[in-house]
Amino acid sequence: MDAKDILGLPKNSFPPQEKKSRPPKESQRKPDGISREVYALTGGLAPLMPAVDSSQLKRRPPPDEKVAWQWLGFTSSARKDNLHLYHWVSSSVRVVNGVPPTGDYSFAKYNKSVDITRYTDEEYEKYLTDPRWTKEETDQLFDLCEQFDLRFIVIADRFPSSRTLEELKDRYYSVSRALLIARNPSSVDIAAHPLLKEPYNISRDVERKRAMSLVLSQTRQQEQRDEEVLAEAKRIAQSRIPAKVSQESEMAVAPNAGVEVTERTIPGETVSPPPSNAQHPLIPVPPPLSTENASTLASLRILRVYLRTYALEQMLQAASSTAGLRTIKRVEQTLQDLGVNLKPRVPTKAVCAEHLELRKEILTLLNLQKQLQYKEAEGLPFREGSFTETPGTPKDRTFVPDSSFGGNELCTCNLIYLLLGILSTFY
Amino acid sequence: MTNSSSSKKHGQDQPELSGPTPKSHRTKMGKSEDTDKKNLGKKLKDVEISVPIVYGNIAFWLGKKASEYQSHKWTVYVRGASNEDLGAIVKRAVFQLHSSFNNPTRVVESPPFELSEAGWGEFEIVITLHFHSDVCDKPLNLYHHLKLYPEDENSSMSTKKPVVVELYDEIVFPDPSEAFLSRVQNHPAVNVPRLPPGVTLPPPIPVEDASKRRKGDTKDHPLSQWFTNFSEADELLQLAAARQQVYTTQYRQSHL
Repeated sequence: MDAKDILGLPKNSFPPQEKKSRPPKESQRKPDGISREVYALTGGLAPLMPAVDSSQLKRRPPPDEKVAWQWLGFTSSARKDNLHLYHWVSSSVRVVNGVPPTGDYSFAKYNKSVDITRYTDEEYEKYLTDPRWTKEETDQLFDLCEQFDLRFIVIADRFPSSRTLEELKDRYYSVSRALLIARNPSSVDIAAHPLLKEPYNISRDVERKRAMSLVLSQTRQQEQRDEEVLAEAKRIAQSRIPAKVSQESEMAVAPNAGVEVTERTIPGETVSPPPSNAQHPLIPVPPPLSTENASTLASLRILRVYLRTYALEQMLQAASSTAGLRTIKRVEQTLQDLGVNLKPRVPTKAVCAEHLELRKEILTLLNLQKQLQYKEAEGLPFREGSFTETPGTPKDRTFVPDSSFGGNELCTCNLIYLLLGILSTFY
Repeated sequence: MTNSSSSKKHGQDQPELSGPTPKSHRTKMGKSEDTDKKNLGKKLKDVEISVPIVYGNIAFWLGKKASEYQSHKWTVYVRGASNEDLGAIVKRAVFQLHSSFNNPTRVVESPPFELSEAGWGEFEIVITLHFHSDVCDKPLNLYHHLKLYPEDENSSMSTKKPVVVELYDEIVFPDPSEAFLSRVQNHPAVNVPRLPPGVTLPPPIPVEDASKRRKGDTKDHPLSQWFTNFSEADELLQLAAARQQVYTTQYRQSHL
């Protein structure tokens, strides 16, 4: 060991050792300029955003330059009427001969508009006539489109004759599409154009808007009723699936005696319970472990070759799929308390089978204990009630002693029998 | 035909945990009415063959002969749990080493399936077992983390006492072919369960003689002194005791 240190060789495997040495180094360094405590507030790491450069902050107080302003004229390319206006220009912008070299009005670049293809009259005659639209109306539509940048809500509002928004859209897009095709006979180039790839479908649009307005106008009551119906449908579908599985496998193995999955809580809805296809009414969810085993074995069979440890894992996963994480942890804790390896050291067929059985038994035991706790909890209000009331019917009196006996003597009984059990295995 | 129906009736007696699903059952029955040639490829229901194996590594520290990049000499291997020859089942084993090794894919064509190397690092080795054609056409992977350094960091390394890590597992063939079954029914490395009543296997085709077979086993292996003897008896005892305790607790709980 010492020789290795001297030589500077890594002690253990290459990846973990390197990782260990890196983190301690990083937290020791800190940048200069801020105190250690302030840096620690950030968690010992540099912030992601570049902080404001402190040297730049120092520079900000303005230098003693005087800014001169000039009253200059300008034109804007966004205007079509050659209007000459005047405004103040600061001397921080370089000025030559009283005319700033920037040229165009700086806001002219924001004057964007939508490209609307306009048709000629011949084109209209050839491709664009439609029985439902006059040329005049179509012209009006296109003028408005250009004026209002395809904002159809505004266009629909201002359209002289009454047409719905969808009709206007439909007319505009079909005209544009027809124009596109007419002007570009080689369809290969324009096939990717959005007008052709996703054509406007007026009926679908109308339907969509109607559906949306319906959803929007639903009252709260209607929403709740919809949710309930959906939840019920889901439950029915789920209860049908395990019933199907148990029918298909036709297992003759009876489910383990006493295995009642009481951990399943019935969903708190005021709807009637789903139609029980094959299940006992007291057990909300069918827990036949035999079907789980069958499906796991079937999936293992498909592999044609597998390792015993892999098979055991699959079985454990299938068995614990019905149990919550806390239950699994309790089972594992119990196994450890009993001195059993969580993963068998010699996983032969017999050992694996025994291991699985043991886990099932522990699960049963835990369920029994839980049931007992519930019963005790139920007995509690009765016990307290009988103390405050005057001696009631004989029924009350007989009930009380039973539950109190169960509550107090429970632990000692268990211990005695556990000890007896342990002793008996050694003799 | 008869064996499938009888196995369904005697479902309780079978060594398997459960019987087959009816659908696949019916298709197998159809297949069994073929000619003799196909009978060899016929699979038997409810008979599973398991091959107990032990895999792992033994690593020796080279002491003063150790260099910076070769501090340990190690051997990774797969052997039969009772040191029997695996060659009847495994055709070849492929050991995939860390990429820093030359030719990291090492193929071992004959038993004993082992690989020796020298190095300094611990890494995961993927051992792929390829089986004979009548056994299974799908390979199986084993994953083993090579261990060179002892668990206890303070214990000093010695050149005489190696670091040994061995893991027990069993290769399970759920639906073995009749040919495979007949070939290995008396092989010491293979666990063949009791056959369902009324089933007879064709006599095994004699492949190799006994002397040739002995070479593949690891009974006289130079490293055999470090092999662990895995016995299921201890584990079974442990489990039985635990179940007893659970039973008694259950009994008391349910009768309260």
